[in-house]
Amino acid sequence: MSWAAHQFEIYAVQAHLPQKMKGKVSFWAIFLGDFTPDFLSKFWVYGFTINGTRYGADVPHQWHRGFPGMGFTHTLFFGVILTLLIWGWRKNRAFTIGYLLGFAAHALTDINDSVGVMLFFPLLVLNFTSETWAYAATVEGGKYLDAAAYYSSLGLVMDVFWLIVVLFSWRVLTREHWRTQIVPADARIWAWFGRWLPERGLIALYRATFFYGLCRMISWSAWARFFADPEKYRDFDVTSRGFPMDLSWTGPSWLAARSLSHVNPWLAYPAALMLLAVVYAVIIRLWEPMGRREAKALAARSRWRNGTHDEADVQADA
Amino acid sequence: MASDPDVDQSPPSPGTVDFRGSRRLVGAEEWFWYLAAAITYITLGIWHKWLLNWFVGPAWLVAFIVVGPWITDRLGMTGRSRSALGSAGSDGQTSR
Repeated sequence: MSWAAHQFEIYAVQAHLPQKMKGKVSFWAIFLGDFTPDFLSKFWVYGFTINGTRYGADVPHQWHRGFPGMGFTHTLFFGVILTLLIWGWRKNRAFTIGYLLGFAAHALTDINDSVGVMLFFPLLVLNFTSETWAYAATVEGGKYLDAAAYYSSLGLVMDVFWLIVVLFSWRVLTREHWRTQIVPADARIWAWFGRWLPERGLIALYRATFFYGLCRMISWSAWARFFADPEKYRDFDVTSRGFPMDLSWTGPSWLAARSLSHVNPWLAYPAALMLLAVVYAVIIRLWEPMGRREAKALAARSRWRNGTHDEADVQADA
Repeated sequence: MASDPDVDQSPPSPGTVDFRGSRRLVGAEEWFWYLAAAITYITLGIWHKWLLNWFVGPAWLVAFIVVGPWITDRLGMTGRSRSALGSAGSDGQTSR
């Protein structure tokens, strides 16, 4: 799994929208789309303990990314279904497109760990993984060992990569960008928050996911490197405090990488990039038709509010 | 009536307050509050992992950015008195 990468990619998506969509795609929808896969599946991965009894998945990686399990929550198929439901509900182009982009970003980023995701579910119930770092969520190690492994491996490099992508697009974090690109696409949501927060609080709220990603990356890395006691989690061959860094492929080597049935790892990146291209091609193709449909839906809603729906709708039905 | 020389009671220039009459953060002061929030959150997060979650992280930053300057203003540490902010409030309605 990826950690802070999921927070940074929200801003990376926002910064790399097609030109005609700039300032018109909902930031909160990208956030929600990126949040959905783990929101639906991860609570049971680490589990929780009440009165000495542990509640959670017996095989965390199977639950998280497999089938049977909740692995479908990390598939584009599921993302498209949710996106269609959102579109059918509100006919809101800004939110629908944002949600799909956020969801796709999360699902495609997760091909990097040793478990990967079912990119072509339900046509193919095999995972696509590049095996870049080890998936390390286990019943015994829980969240702490998972974090230690992730931030001692190429997982940390992936987080830093996404951080650099955002920093190269640093304008996406400025007040000017927030005012001109973010607020117009989500005017009602920001207006609602504006009832409780001053402008500096609203900008902080916009930057908060980036802040959280950056801080958790540094905090977990520092803990894993300098403060953790490896013997607490397993009998590791480590003499000092802190887990050893290992930037080898599918590392760290001091932990057995979890895995599910998967295709050849060389196929993972081409397949993910192809799907990313398909997603962008589809949203570019549908952008204008969705805009027209949204305008029609808004006009219909307006007629309903004004009480003039009966005549118009009867005529339309006829 | 003599005014307090330590307190700048001149109304802030347009654009320094928002739609609620609250002060905007710019430049070094903005960096200071973001860095303060980050350093405290990272440091506490190393030993108190329960803080490192989706809710506390964003709430931590927003609280720092909203409450921090408000407190320093009230303590007079930024040279803005309550009355100056009060008069700014009315200006702020038109400074969006």
